[in-house]
Amino acid sequence: MTPMLFGPPQRRLFGLFHPPERERDIAVLICAPFGQEMVRTHRLFRVLSDRLARAGVAVLRFDCHGTGDSSGDDTDGDLDGWRRDVCTAHEELHRLSAPRRIVWLGSRLGATLAVLAARSGRSDPSKVILWDPIVDGARYLDAMREKHVSALEASYWIPDRAWRRRLADDKDAYTDELLGFAVSPTLRNQLRALTPQSLQLTASHETVVLADPEDEDANRWARMQAERQIPVRLSPFQHSLVWTSDPFPNSAMVPAEALQRLVAEING
Amino acid sequence: MDDYNETPVQFGPDGSLIGIITTPGDGPMAPVACILMNMGAIHRIGPRRANVKLARQMAARGISSIRVDLAGLGDSRPASETADFRTQAVLDVQAAMNLVGTMLGVHRFVLIGLCSGAHNGLSVAVADPRLVGLLMFDGPNFPGRRARWERSLRRALADPRPGAFFGRVLGVLRRTLSPQQQQPAGNQNIFDSTGPRDSAEYFCRSMNLLAERGVATMMFFTGSVQAKDRRRDLLGPFGKEPFARQLEYRFAPEIDHGLTSQASQQAFMNLVCDWALRVIHGDGSTPAQAVAAGGHAGRGARPSTTLAIKLEHASS
Repeated sequence: MTPMLFGPPQRRLFGLFHPPERERDIAVLICAPFGQEMVRTHRLFRVLSDRLARAGVAVLRFDCHGTGDSSGDDTDGDLDGWRRDVCTAHEELHRLSAPRRIVWLGSRLGATLAVLAARSGRSDPSKVILWDPIVDGARYLDAMREKHVSALEASYWIPDRAWRRRLADDKDAYTDELLGFAVSPTLRNQLRALTPQSLQLTASHETVVLADPEDEDANRWARMQAERQIPVRLSPFQHSLVWTSDPFPNSAMVPAEALQRLVAEING
Repeated sequence: MDDYNETPVQFGPDGSLIGIITTPGDGPMAPVACILMNMGAIHRIGPRRANVKLARQMAARGISSIRVDLAGLGDSRPASETADFRTQAVLDVQAAMNLVGTMLGVHRFVLIGLCSGAHNGLSVAVADPRLVGLLMFDGPNFPGRRARWERSLRRALADPRPGAFFGRVLGVLRRTLSPQQQQPAGNQNIFDSTGPRDSAEYFCRSMNLLAERGVATMMFFTGSVQAKDRRRDLLGPFGKEPFARQLEYRFAPEIDHGLTSQASQQAFMNLVCDWALRVIHGDGSTPAQAVAAGGHAGRGARPSTTLAIKLEHASS
């Protein structure tokens, strides 16, 4: 595993390259979720990358601008910039692993970014795997701000009842700091504008959508894409990972079923 | 132009440890660097990316830092040796200090330890005289019976659910009367152990040793531990120990353990940066004055910002 910085000087991205331990024709770019969900999945993707590298798959994990170890403040993050970061990371992985074909694995908001980046036409992934993608930005914001208040209530010795009142009374409350990660007005507006109708797959690559059967938004969106004659496969996937929890006991950091399923989809 | 430069590093035995060194982007470099590491199982960026934000704010004030994943956490590989977790943590931090010494020419350090990092930091400070300052955030704490009873009662009274008050008061009484409550309290997690370096005796002995050595120490507690602090309640029976006279003790009820809100994070950053500056410069002088007064680290010692650097286990 090699830590590195790449990308333009004003937008240096931190990445970790897992060199393959044997010859195969495949490389994987991992597009992580946003904020606390990114922290939560860090270990899973590290273990997944190690396992893939042992099996001959080159892997690049990276942090988008304003996230993780990459340059920028929390509030510097926005969907357009992050979409370009995915393409920059794709180019870096291509430089490191050519002529391997590159598969993208995106989870949550990282999956959404993968769709947006693939649609930009700047990159040519051979396959895109979308795990629990965010297809409705407004609902995502609502869910995250509710979880933000729950996290506050769990964290303080004596919670303040005003937090939940504010959550109920003000629809904008806490949308500027989702679970401790600052959100700029630009990003907030972009998320609100993100709808299942506006998020469209392209036909230039195969797409797999891994979604919980109870996630009606993601299932409906995937079926909608299929109806557009896009090569997409919807695959039901339930797992024990709690996207927003802290990595503490009684909350598996690397659920075996998730690891096995992702490896199978990448190799499939 | 950023206020900082950052360099990913791979170091330690077999290059198994991963970290990021942050240095000031402009101006002189303080002669003391800061060590940041994992809080529980969270990788080196810290809770809500706090270590990244802290490293960059410190760099803007002239202080370099390394944030590191200890062996087996984050992106660092497990250790090949069979040391227990605490011993390995000490070895890993010493490897980080060796690396910073080699790359930046800085050989004195302050350590900011969050939660489990506070316990690890105490062991590092005992083992290595290069550490001149230790800040323990929600680390070891030893509230007495009165303080435990009061904090539980306050929570019971604040619970709005019907019947919750009596249920909680019963719970308080049960726990207060339970022999198990004679054990030191603390944030229990997977990194807690019952080894000799988690005992109250070890804590007291270590803190007195650090006081004798002149190591600056701060115990910093949040509103996640309790709601009110009367007289350094979380020191419990150690309030009259020699170390307590030198110890800086801070209870900040507006901040929470997970730094969940932006306000919490900002208060944390300000408090920690101010403490680090006071420890490093003593009289509140600027980094420029400190360097002119004898610090030997300067711009010439800066690393490249473009390439990850692999170093074998650097020796001090």
